Amino acid sequence: MPNFDGGHYFLTALIPISTGLVTDSTGTIISPIQKIRNALATLPTARQTPATEATGLNSPFSRNLRTHFARFVVVEDVAYNGRDPVDAIEMALRAQLLGANPVTPQHQDKLDPCPYLIFIADFDAASGAESELASFLELLWKTMPEELTEVLAPCVGFSEVSDAAGFARYIQRCQIETTMPFNDYWTTSPPLKSNGGLLIGVLGIGVVLGLVVAWFIHPGFWISVAILLGGLLAGAAAAIALVMCLGPRPFPAAPHTDLPSVLKALYLQQKFTQLAIDVQGAGDEEIHRQFGRFVAQHTPSQPTPTQSPGVVHS
Amino acid sequence: MARTLNLADIQGNVLRPYGLPKARFFCLNIQNSDEGGRAGRALVEELRHRVTTALPWKPRRSPSATSGDSTLPPKPKVTINLAFTFWGLAALGLPPATLRTMPDEFIEGMKARASLLGDDVCRRDGRDRRESVDHWDPVWKGSGSDQQVHILISVYADMNSDGCPVAELEATTQWLLGLCDQSGGYVRALKGHAASDLPYQESSMLLEPDGKGNQQVSFKEHFGFTDGYGDPVFEGQYPPEQEKINLPGGGKILPDQTWAPLATGEFLLGYPDEAQEVPPASFPLEFTHNGTFVAYRKLHQNVAGFRAYLEQEAKKYMKLNGIDQLSDAKEILGAKMVGRWSDGVPLTKAPTLSDWRAFQARDRAARATGDPAAITAADLEFVDFKYRADPEGTKCPFTSHLRRTNTRDGLDPTGPTTNPPPSEVAKVEAQPGNGSVINNRRRLLRRGMVYGNSDGTNARDEAEHGIIFMAVCASLFRQFEFVQQQWIQYGLDFDVGNDTCPLIGNHGEGSKYVIPGDRQSGTRPFVCANLPQFVEVRGGDYFFIPSITALRMIAMGTIDPT
Repeated sequence: MPNFDGGHYFLTALIPISTGLVTDSTGTIISPIQKIRNALATLPTARQTPATEATGLNSPFSRNLRTHFARFVVVEDVAYNGRDPVDAIEMALRAQLLGANPVTPQHQDKLDPCPYLIFIADFDAASGAESELASFLELLWKTMPEELTEVLAPCVGFSEVSDAAGFARYIQRCQIETTMPFNDYWTTSPPLKSNGGLLIGVLGIGVVLGLVVAWFIHPGFWISVAILLGGLLAGAAAAIALVMCLGPRPFPAAPHTDLPSVLKALYLQQKFTQLAIDVQGAGDEEIHRQFGRFVAQHTPSQPTPTQSPGVVHS
Repeated sequence: MARTLNLADIQGNVLRPYGLPKARFFCLNIQNSDEGGRAGRALVEELRHRVTTALPWKPRRSPSATSGDSTLPPKPKVTINLAFTFWGLAALGLPPATLRTMPDEFIEGMKARASLLGDDVCRRDGRDRRESVDHWDPVWKGSGSDQQVHILISVYADMNSDGCPVAELEATTQWLLGLCDQSGGYVRALKGHAASDLPYQESSMLLEPDGKGNQQVSFKEHFGFTDGYGDPVFEGQYPPEQEKINLPGGGKILPDQTWAPLATGEFLLGYPDEAQEVPPASFPLEFTHNGTFVAYRKLHQNVAGFRAYLEQEAKKYMKLNGIDQLSDAKEILGAKMVGRWSDGVPLTKAPTLSDWRAFQARDRAARATGDPAAITAADLEFVDFKYRADPEGTKCPFTSHLRRTNTRDGLDPTGPTTNPPPSEVAKVEAQPGNGSVINNRRRLLRRGMVYGNSDGTNARDEAEHGIIFMAVCASLFRQFEFVQQQWIQYGLDFDVGNDTCPLIGNHGEGSKYVIPGDRQSGTRPFVCANLPQFVEVRGGDYFFIPSITALRMIAMGTIDPT
C-alpha cells in the first residue's frame, strides 16, 4: 500500500472536470478548465525565497500543521508522443502477408470522457488508515474552504459538497493509488530487520520436502532429480511470495519528520547559528549563560516558538 | 588519437591567455538600419584581417626551430579580437534562422539575467529589477537599439619597461576610432565607461618595481591575492608535450584518480562535450564551429571595505586562536576565504601558517636551482591537488572561493565524508571514485584583467578599481550561469544552505561564512558574520566569439542557414 510510507500519507486524486461552460467573476463565458487555471494562477504558493516572504501572502495549505507538500495540476489530455516507430522490413512483410497499409493512421490515446484535475498531497499520518486521510481532508476544508471551492467548483459533482465530511468523501471517491511515493526524510538506512534467514528457510523446506518425497516413493534416479528440482522450485516460489507479502509493508517513519518537528528543527538551526556567532570568543561562563538564555527563550523540547508553516527558510 | 584543432581558425585568447599586461575594451554600436548593417559589415571586413588567432607565436630565439615554426606569426605588440552580442549579430544582418537558434541566455543578454545571476544586489532595498542595475556603468545600461553594445573589440598590448603600454596600443586605438569615424556615423564607439570620457575600458595588470628601476607585472588583484591559476585543460588546446605538463590540476579527474584533458566541446562549439554530445549551436554549423561564448563582466571591488572587514575579523580570530601577529591572522582569514594564500599557494597543499612558510621555502629553493624540471615541478605544486581527503574542509573550507568555482573532485557523492588521519591521506587519495564528474560540465576558461588602482593603503570603496572578468565556455547557461547561480550565490551543494561565496557572492542581511574547525588539531570553527558586499557588478554582457571563418561570413553578409 504505497499510499502510506515512512510516516507520511501520499494522496493522489484524479478529479473529473466538467465539460460545459461557466462564467467568471466578470461574467465572461469561459471553460471550466480556464476557470480552474485562473483560480490556480492566483493561489499563493509557499514563501520560498526572501522576496516572497516580503509579499505577506502565503499558501492556504500553510494554515494546517500536517501538509508537507501539495500540488494541483490540470490534465487536459494525455501527451501524444507521435507514431510508434515501425521497422521498414517488418512493415513491408506485414503489408505483403497481412494486407497492412502504412498509410493508415495509428491509434491515438485520448483522455476520455473529460479532462482531470490532479490533486497531490503529502501529509503526516500515523498508520495510513482511511480515517487519517479523512481527517486531513476535513482539516483542509475547515481551514481553506473558499480556496478549495474556487479551485474545485468546476469539477464534476463538486456542487454537492457542503461540509467537511462531504469534501473528504468527494476526494476519497476520486482517489487513485500512489504507486511511487517519494519520501526523502531518511538520510541513513532505516533499521529494517533482515528476512534473509526466513527466505533461505523457506527455500530449504522445499528442498527437504522434495528429498522426503523422493525417499518415500523410491523412483528412478532421474525422476528423483526431477522431484528434487520441483521441491526447489516450490521453495523459490514460496520465497518470492513471502517477499511480495513483506514488501508492501511501509517503511517506519524517520525520527522527527512530522511537520511540527521539521519546522522546529529549521527554527532551532537558525537560532543556534546566531547563538554560535554571538558567543564566538566569549568565555566559558558567558557561553554557559547565553546557552541557558537560548534554551529558555527557544525551548528546544517544546513545539513553540517555531518557524511558521509555509516558510521555506533556513 | 589526440584532437588537432584548426588554430588559424580560432580567435586568440580563447585557448590560452595572451599574457600581455595592457588591454583596452571597445564597445561598438551599429545603427539598426540597412545602411548600418552595411557599415558594420564593412568594419568587420576591415578588422578581420588583423584579428589575432590561436596560432602559437614564433619563438624569439629558437636555435633548433622546426620547419613549421617559420610559418608561425611573430609575437605581436598588439592583439585584436572581436565578439558580438545577439543584437550586434542582428544589426549586422544575420538571417533569422541563424539568430533564432542561438541560446536563450545569449539572446536575453546578461542584464536581463541579473536576477538569476544575483547581480541585482540593490534588490535588498526593495527596488525592482530595472533599478537593480542602476549602479552599472552607463555604457552597459543602454537598452535602446542606438545604445546597446553590439561589438566588443578587445585589444591587448605589451608594455615598456616603465610600465606604460607600447606606442602601438594608442596607434591601434586611433586606427579603430578612425574606422568608426569613416563609417559615416553608423558605427560608434560608445562612451560611458564609469566616469571616464574615453571611448574604451582601460585595463592593466597591477605592476610593481622590479628593483632595477623598471616596472614588472605583479599578477595580483586589488584585494592582494595572486590570481590566474587553475585554467582548464582540454583536448587540442596544447601540443601533447605541453598538455602533459599542464594536465595535473587543470584537466578532469578520472575514476582511477588520473588526470585527463576535458572534452573540446566544453569550450569550443562544434565538438563533442563531456556528456558526449555536441552542444546545440546555430545554423549553419560552419558559422558556429570553432566559435564560443564569453561572459564579459566588470567587477568592482570594494577594496577599503574588504581590508577593514578582514582586519576586524582577524582581531577576533587572533584572540580565539592565540595568534600573536595581526598580519598573520589577516593572512589566515584571507586564505580561508579564497582557498589560496595571498601568494597563490593552495591551502590544500599548505593548510597552516607554518605549512605555508615551509612551502614557500621549498618553492624558493626549487626556483633558485634554475633547473627547468625543478621549476616545472614547483609550478605544479600550485595546481596539482584534489579535495578527496578534505571533505570536512579543515584544510581548505568547502565554501571558499576556490572550492566553489572549481569543485574538482570535492562533490563526488561516493567520496569519504570525514577527513582521514594524515597517515591515511595518500591511501584515500588513491581510492577509485567518480573523480571530477560533477565538475566537468561546469568549467570556465577565465580571461580577465585588473582595471584601476587601489593605491596601497589609501584605498576607497568608491574609487574605480576591480577586475574585467571574462568566462569563456561553450554554454553560458550550463557553465557560467550554473557556477554563478548555484555555486557562488547559493550553498546547497556544499551543505551550507543559503551561504554565498565569501569573496564575490551577494552578502545580504545575516550573511555569514563558516570556516570549519579541525577535530584532529582541536581548532574551533570560526564564523565570519555580517559580511559586507565586497564585489559588485558594474556591467557587461554575453558575447559570441566567432571563428575566423565566421567573421568572414559576417563581413560578406553571406550566411546561408539552409
